[in-house]
Amino acid sequence: MANLANLYDVSKCTACRGCQVACKDWNQLPAVIEPFKGNYQTHDDTNGDTFTIIKFFESEDPVDGVKWDFFKRQCMHCWDAECMKVCPRQAYSKTSWGATLHDPDKCIGCQYCAAACPFEIPKYRKREDVITKCTMCADRVEEGLKPACARTCPSGALTFGDRDELVQVAEARAKFLRANGFPRATIYGKIELGGLNNLYVLTDTPDKFGLPVDPKVSGNVTFWQDWIQPYFGWLIPLMLTASATSFVTSRLLASKNGGHGEHGEGGHE
Amino acid sequence: MALIPEYRDDVPRVERFNWLARFSHWGHTVTFLLCLFTGLVLFLDGVNWLAAIFGGYRGAGLVHRVSAVGMTLVIGIGMVFGFKGIIEWIKDLLRFGMNDIKFIMIFPLEFLGFPVKVPPQTRFNGGEKGNSIVTPTCVFLLVLSGYIMWFPAIFPVGLVRVSYWTHDIAMVGATCMVCMHAYLGSFHPGSGESFWGMWKGTVRADWAQHHHAIWYKETYGDKSEAE
Repeated sequence: MANLANLYDVSKCTACRGCQVACKDWNQLPAVIEPFKGNYQTHDDTNGDTFTIIKFFESEDPVDGVKWDFFKRQCMHCWDAECMKVCPRQAYSKTSWGATLHDPDKCIGCQYCAAACPFEIPKYRKREDVITKCTMCADRVEEGLKPACARTCPSGALTFGDRDELVQVAEARAKFLRANGFPRATIYGKIELGGLNNLYVLTDTPDKFGLPVDPKVSGNVTFWQDWIQPYFGWLIPLMLTASATSFVTSRLLASKNGGHGEHGEGGHE
Repeated sequence: MALIPEYRDDVPRVERFNWLARFSHWGHTVTFLLCLFTGLVLFLDGVNWLAAIFGGYRGAGLVHRVSAVGMTLVIGIGMVFGFKGIIEWIKDLLRFGMNDIKFIMIFPLEFLGFPVKVPPQTRFNGGEKGNSIVTPTCVFLLVLSGYIMWFPAIFPVGLVRVSYWTHDIAMVGATCMVCMHAYLGSFHPGSGESFWGMWKGTVRADWAQHHHAIWYKETYGDKSEAE
């Protein structure tokens, strides 16, 4: 099956947060109430019971006055998902159409994925001691429906569909925005980390929306996964073999020397 | 040949480790081995039988954390009540010198059972000095990185990522040392007597004189001459 993706167009989002509510509703997630922190963003970040949030970026411009930029944050569903590589219980899987799924029944709450993800998306749900994250509503999509967030979006900021087609839509939209007052408008997710299943049309450079401009898997994680885990552990059986060799040879040599160097003598001549 | 030498109280014996050192040592043994086998469950990726011993992966995780706290307590007790002993230990490690280098050079032969002439050693020989430096360093790193991995939410994500490979490297380092240490301190014909030093606290005086000549002379030399 071709890759399916969610396209989020920053320029069309009104921050109604219908997507947040629809997500909570479909995934049966309880409300998480955080104290008011001086802006309209509902939560600091996604959390164990909140798979997606709209981030608010406020800036003041002498000409245009206060400017609001909105940004929908959720799992990017990377093609080459790092969470899947580091998971020691194989709780992660990819669907044939590109969603990255996490199985809470296999999860043991080690939280390796939370630190390994370049976007820091997987979140720990303390009460169940498991990791949770956006599922791209795989249960809906496999029944021919759109993800809950895309289904509910009233302004057309979210579009769900064939990824290749959406890339073209996004590129055309970015081109249009660049010609109409957003000279730095760009798309995100086409080539980042080898391709994401969440595409973005941004009105400004990615860093203005809290996105890494050039997302990379941390070198620490690569070193740990590709060098230490597969090879370093072999030192242990090597040491065990050395001890076992000594156990045999020292006893053989001792009996050959007629008991010389045995325990009974205190191990010395 | 017996696995370990017979404990003999009919020969003169000298104290090698006091009660606190022995408590600390065996406390580390129990908690380290529990942590090791429960930790290998994740390190080896897919050893279901090992996880099953501890009641599955979550059970292993729980045992790992409980033992880790136990190990922290053992370290704490050792540091508080055995501070003087630790200083003496470090002082002995700082005496690392020519005799220790010679010891380490010649040791592979002794290890395999060839009779060799070893230069006189202080309380801890060259190999023990190495073990005394490497293993506690690894354990210190394990405890530190372990708590960071346990509570990743309160640490910067960069530090958590460093902790993952640090924990693995320190685990392998400590386990390699423990493999050698456990064998040399028990079944190895030459040094088997040292097992009683850690189990009962005393070793045969003639063994101590032979294996740790400098230490024996400094600690018991004058007294035995006076007697």
